[in-house]
Amino acid sequence: MDISRRGFMKLTGAGAACLGLAELGFDLAPVRAVAADLKIEGAKEVVSICHFCSCGCNIIMSIKDGRMVAAGGDPDFPVSEGALCAKGAAFQSMHYSDRRLQKPLHRAPGSDRWEEKEWDFVLDRIARKVKDTRDKDFMVKNGKGQQVNRVESIFELGASQLDNEECALTHQMLMGLGVVHMDHQARV
Amino acid sequence: MTNHWIDIKNADVVLIMGSNAAEHHPISFKWVLKAKDAGATVIHIDPKFSRTSARSDMHVPLRSGTDIPLLGGMVRHILEKGEFNREYVAQYTNASFIVGDGYDFKNGLFSGYDPAAKKYDQKKWGFALDEKGVPKRDPTLKHPRCVFQLLKKHYSRYTPEKVSSITGVSKQDLLKVYEIYGATGAPGKAGTMMYALGWTQHTVGVQNIRLAAIVQLLLGNMGAAGGGINALRGEPNVQGSTDHCILWNTLPGYLPVPTSDKATVEEYIKANTPETHDPKSVNWWSNKPKYMVSLLKAWMGEAATSENDYGFGWLPKADPGVDYSAIFLLDRMYKGRIKGGFILGHNPAQSMPNSNKVRKALEKLDWLAVAEIHNSETTDFWRRPGVDPKKIQTEVFLLPSCQRGEKDGSITNSGRWLMWHNKGIEPMGQSRSMGWMAVEIFKRVRALYAKESGAFPEQILKMDWPEVYDADGVARKINGSYTRDITVKGKQYKKGEQVESFLYLRDDGSTASLNWLYAGSYGPAGNLAKRRGLAQTSMQARIGLFPNFSWAWPVNRRILYNRASVDPNGKPFNSAKPVIAWENGKWVGDIPDGPAPPMALPGGKYPFIMQTQGMGQIFGPGRVDGPLPEHYEPAETPVKSHPFSAQLNNPCLKAAISDMDVLAKPGDPRFPFVLTTYGVTEQWCGGVDTRNTPLLLEAEPQLYVEMSPQLARLRGIGNGDPVVVESARGRVEAIAMVTVRITPFKVLGKSVHLVGMPFCFGWTTPGAGDATNRLTATVCDPNVSIPEYKACLVNVRKAEKVSELFV
Amino acid sequence: MAKAFFIDTSRCIACRGCQVACKEWHGLPAVQTRQRGTHQNPPDLNPFTYKLVRFAEGKTGAKVEWLFFPDQCHHCLEPPCRGAADSFVPDAVIVDQKTGAVLYTEKTGALTAAQCKEIQEACPYDIPRRNEQSGLLTKCDMCIDRLRADLAPMCVKTCPTGAMNFGERDQMLAMAHQRLEAVKSSHPKAQLVDADNVSVIYLVTNPGLALQRPLKQAVESYSRRELLGNLTAPFRRIAG
Repeated sequence: MDISRRGFMKLTGAGAACLGLAELGFDLAPVRAVAADLKIEGAKEVVSICHFCSCGCNIIMSIKDGRMVAAGGDPDFPVSEGALCAKGAAFQSMHYSDRRLQKPLHRAPGSDRWEEKEWDFVLDRIARKVKDTRDKDFMVKNGKGQQVNRVESIFELGASQLDNEECALTHQMLMGLGVVHMDHQARV
Repeated sequence: MTNHWIDIKNADVVLIMGSNAAEHHPISFKWVLKAKDAGATVIHIDPKFSRTSARSDMHVPLRSGTDIPLLGGMVRHILEKGEFNREYVAQYTNASFIVGDGYDFKNGLFSGYDPAAKKYDQKKWGFALDEKGVPKRDPTLKHPRCVFQLLKKHYSRYTPEKVSSITGVSKQDLLKVYEIYGATGAPGKAGTMMYALGWTQHTVGVQNIRLAAIVQLLLGNMGAAGGGINALRGEPNVQGSTDHCILWNTLPGYLPVPTSDKATVEEYIKANTPETHDPKSVNWWSNKPKYMVSLLKAWMGEAATSENDYGFGWLPKADPGVDYSAIFLLDRMYKGRIKGGFILGHNPAQSMPNSNKVRKALEKLDWLAVAEIHNSETTDFWRRPGVDPKKIQTEVFLLPSCQRGEKDGSITNSGRWLMWHNKGIEPMGQSRSMGWMAVEIFKRVRALYAKESGAFPEQILKMDWPEVYDADGVARKINGSYTRDITVKGKQYKKGEQVESFLYLRDDGSTASLNWLYAGSYGPAGNLAKRRGLAQTSMQARIGLFPNFSWAWPVNRRILYNRASVDPNGKPFNSAKPVIAWENGKWVGDIPDGPAPPMALPGGKYPFIMQTQGMGQIFGPGRVDGPLPEHYEPAETPVKSHPFSAQLNNPCLKAAISDMDVLAKPGDPRFPFVLTTYGVTEQWCGGVDTRNTPLLLEAEPQLYVEMSPQLARLRGIGNGDPVVVESARGRVEAIAMVTVRITPFKVLGKSVHLVGMPFCFGWTTPGAGDATNRLTATVCDPNVSIPEYKACLVNVRKAEKVSELFV
Repeated sequence: MAKAFFIDTSRCIACRGCQVACKEWHGLPAVQTRQRGTHQNPPDLNPFTYKLVRFAEGKTGAKVEWLFFPDQCHHCLEPPCRGAADSFVPDAVIVDQKTGAVLYTEKTGALTAAQCKEIQEACPYDIPRRNEQSGLLTKCDMCIDRLRADLAPMCVKTCPTGAMNFGERDQMLAMAHQRLEAVKSSHPKAQLVDADNVSVIYLVTNPGLALQRPLKQAVESYSRRELLGNLTAPFRRIAG
């Protein structure tokens, strides 16, 4: 992707004109890095978007060997001009938080713990639960004898964390199941 | 937002009310401060002094739940001083409409109220129509039954003395605000209103926004650069998820949900498509049939035909008069009537009101599938403090979701900009996108029905469903395409070709689109959400329109209602900051609200094209709790009366009723303080993502309750002390933040204390505190069922010992 | 020509984008914190926090003031910390001639705890912190790695409101004086902090309140000590 450097600081005479600290014989360990090993040097830049408030700040992820080595505000995004707040600034570490869920989990009725499961297990079992509940409670007609084709005992909550494409499919799936109890954070 | 983030810089006055923009939308302050640099005045009206107040010219503390008195007083001031934009008000709003004889207002109630049903007969508020069925008008605004005169009469009661007595705002501050903001009614001046949940989360939430819109219409601020009603939307894609309507009452693109009393698509269309008899009104919603049929075609593909009503009959139908929204959904869950379901990136056990009840309700489920990035108070409700997991029989599935940088897709920001984000890295572990999960789950359900059949299998099997999740493919489908070879307006289109915009959508089954609002985002020119162009004309650059960066709905229009920014001849009211202008027989600047010429020219149209009558609605007969906003106290209020009428609370207020839904009485001595709840910059909403990000938890680690030094003295509480906050529904531990940023309010001659708490902390983050929403009540606005998070009654006392917080 | 920061606290909204971005760029870990009745967290600079937004509040009559101070090394032109360090371990503290960045090298590891304490005390702004585990002295490095690649320091890049600025020293000084004039109409006590002596030039609107550190937790009562006297004292000590 072509991203201009608009907004980046230009420092006059930077680079060759001056002797770097490393060349002066200093080891900059506490300083952690010098230009020679700038961590984003040579990284692929991919645009993402902060997933908090609806300013929608564009973020440039610097990717090296399949790993995000840094993330920062996109200077070309006219709304933020490269800035971020505390939440957006934590984009990279949020992706690598060791508290993230990495495997499907299952909690059996009455159990006091999670058990790791394979995707096939949870997806198949959810599909079975959906079908059993829907088959049992499906209403073709309401009390007035009008066609309603719905299941009131299955619900859905949430979607504002989803992309538009995911929302569109979620809505379609819920219509396909006959769900009327559906709502999300827009109402709260 | 009717406008967009950058446009804030064009304002002469920035009124931030019901929002703490600097803390919750920090980037907005780039533009607020640019406006300020250019000479704008920034006013922050909010119960507490926040980081927003610190950067504003003026902070006005207001008792939570009294926005209508303050704004009502502003309407009175504007009309009395004659500061309104007369040409705009007479020509572009319904101020000149004559209201029918059925309308009346007495003792805090509008005509047509049925106390048993707690509902109005809204037909009583209709306009007087002429023989053609067009509302009668008096452009001089003098007719005693015209909207303008009724408005004037209604708000003449909102005197500064009364407003001051109930809001706790000094008369001096009120007048200062009214003068500064009223000045934006001058031609060429613009005032913007930035609001958020501080306005919406009340039992009068919708009327708060209505009154703001009335002020903006009176001052001619709608449609102008630096004007508008700007909802600072909250969650990451809450604008997009609202547009795609994951809401029980709407289908994608804000089409009404089918109800059981309309059996065919024809009946549905007839009942839901507004008609106007005024040829100058565009009445955009008259296109609804095209959007609905295209949606049905997109959902059901080849299976939807004109013979089978495009599959309309397969869709689920809601019963009229039943509310299926979150509060009532959870109430039914608590009562055992819901057995299973999905929670997608949402933490209701933490973020819904009266969360003790929500947590109990989840126990009643047979099964629950939650898609999340981290464990949350919702995913782990069965092992929360104080419960025995063995007694909870819910089977729970926790589906690990990937992060934003691990997937492709689009989101829509608050300014309606549709923007694409790209996958940079592989999902961590076995985490997957929620789009992948939806595709896989429904695929498996479909396979079961294909194999075993079951209840009404058509509903499931007729859906046109992808084999794999492909964000690009869905984005194309959202835009829409032709379903057969066809000639439109003399041009030939091939089956499968993308439609250029919603102007090309049709009601004969020849087009399919998952969301008409987004038609045009991915037309023949490709995915415009990916655009990163910064080029603009000098006219566009003057107001920072950036029409080539991403794409905005609808049809890349950046400022809604922009036809109201020009006079009836198409000349901008503000020549220094024009949004559009009619030059040499065409519009320049932003994409206008429809291509028609200016109103005064032949073929010209009224500016508010989404309104049936083409006019900005000062009088709003469509709202269930009244055509004009009126002050009612929050459901839990520290006062027993207010100066505007004997009707204490919203007469149409909705509430869930159960043994766990207890309310304090007005002025209840057990709960003498007002609690308002909010977020904090470094945490987000229910807090799961941010609490699990160490650098953010470090910055805001624990639940606190902000209170004034006066209240702290009254209760013997020191700064940093652990305290207990109690309401009629629950008890919460928090650390006292004693601060001069909160001041007691003088209300009806007495001192009313307010405390404020964030709602982001929960027990899955050890020692951080637990849900503030254990205190809040399940009472709602009657129009949209949004709960009243912003005002309830509590008591605060010093804690002997605490168990929820590390101290 | 040396570089400088201009930090305009009158534009700061304390979003803490700078604080988090700094830690994120430098890979610094979070420490466990507590709510103590203030938003300021971590409570103070520490070996893992080079940049900290300080909060101070007070009330004059009915007028509430809430001040935000994104604290960091001021990168003194004649750094007293270097003066102190040189007498113990040469080149533990160096100044990058090209940028003016005051940098702590790995040689700070050779300093004893007592020597570090002396260096800390020499600092007029109470910035250096010793990592007790590694023995290294730490603080803001001006993002020297970024500077050398023509990139602005992370805190400056991240700031949404123009509170953080970076560039040539004369340019920043001009900006600082221009902003001071503009801000003075609404904040008559506004001033630039030690502009002639440092590379990080702060504009503060209420020096008595803003520059107290550590933050006083008590509300409504602030000691009125003249801060500038305190600030310049170490310079005098060195000069004398």
